[in-house]
Amino acid sequence: MSDLIKENEILEQIKAAFQVEGKVSSERRTEVFADKTQVSSILLLAKNQYGFKHLNHIACIDWIEENKFELVYILYNHKTGLTLLVHTKIDRENPEMENIDTIWDQANTYEREMREMYGIEFPGLVGAKEFILEDWEDTPPMRRDFDTLNYATNTYFHQAGREDAQDVRTTISTRSGEEIPDFAKKYSRDK
Amino acid sequence: MMNNKNSQTVAEYIKNWSRKNSLFVMAYGTGCGAIEIPPTMTSRYDAERLGISGAATPRQADVLLITGYLATKTLKRVIRVYEQMQDPKYVIAFGSCTINGGMYYDSYNTINILEKYIPVDVFINGCMPRPEAVIAGFQKLQEKIARGDADNGTRYKENLEWYRSNQKKVIKNWRMPDYNW
Repeated sequence: MSDLIKENEILEQIKAAFQVEGKVSSERRTEVFADKTQVSSILLLAKNQYGFKHLNHIACIDWIEENKFELVYILYNHKTGLTLLVHTKIDRENPEMENIDTIWDQANTYEREMREMYGIEFPGLVGAKEFILEDWEDTPPMRRDFDTLNYATNTYFHQAGREDAQDVRTTISTRSGEEIPDFAKKYSRDK
Repeated sequence: MMNNKNSQTVAEYIKNWSRKNSLFVMAYGTGCGAIEIPPTMTSRYDAERLGISGAATPRQADVLLITGYLATKTLKRVIRVYEQMQDPKYVIAFGSCTINGGMYYDSYNTINILEKYIPVDVFINGCMPRPEAVIAGFQKLQEKIARGDADNGTRYKENLEWYRSNQKKVIKNWRMPDYNW
């Protein structure tokens, strides 16, 4: 294990430039927890100043308990091999985030996907409204309050399960007159 | 066979015999089962010895394979392909996904029972069926054709309203051409 000099250096530089929280989570991985408004300036600085030329991914997490969406911008520096994660949290009600496809073109794809799957709006985002889904009218499907089983039950036909579906162990034990061994009892359906 | 009073006429027998021995399969795959088609068609299992070979366009094809789960988006394309195919046309459905939804039974964008949307001749169970099972399914279809039972194209036309209502329940924005066959 190295002494994480490079990782700490990046963290200190970003901390000096912005009022952000941050940590070095493991080797070659630095994490920054920023405010929504600071994100684009941190990304620009990371790209132009610290050499994080590559936007790996933009992830979105639905923290329904906190009523927040968390966006994680994952950047990679090909020269040093460092990864930088920029976390930010936005409101779940009318979620809106700055469009960063002027910094990285490929962000456009991720943002269009998030717009469709989570309903996050990116003002100024160019591209067709539909990304993967077709004629979707319901809640954005990746949100945690979207009940996928309920939706599927209402929308599609369902094959009823077999009524004689029983626990195989019970059937076998009654047929052969043996008791179910203790170690298998915890897997049994009828307890 | 000719002595049976339910048996076919000689002309029908010859027609069915020639149909069952030249099945042209639409080169179209959905879901994961499409990966079972190359080994079925190539030298190891060599489906061509049974008269099964590929066709490039729906109008040249006899058999449509639905090889796995169907997203609602794909279903729209499948219906279009199916309606473009000429009679006689047959559908073989692969895997649990087309029977009852399989592992995608609670998914928001895959249909569960294929038979509600287009008529299916043969279901092959498994997740996914191996080439042996695929060939067995084709043989079942051939038996069905030889008996003269495989007329699902006509069934589809007769019950078009019922199929359309099911299809339109899933495909909300219906922008499809109408074929008069």
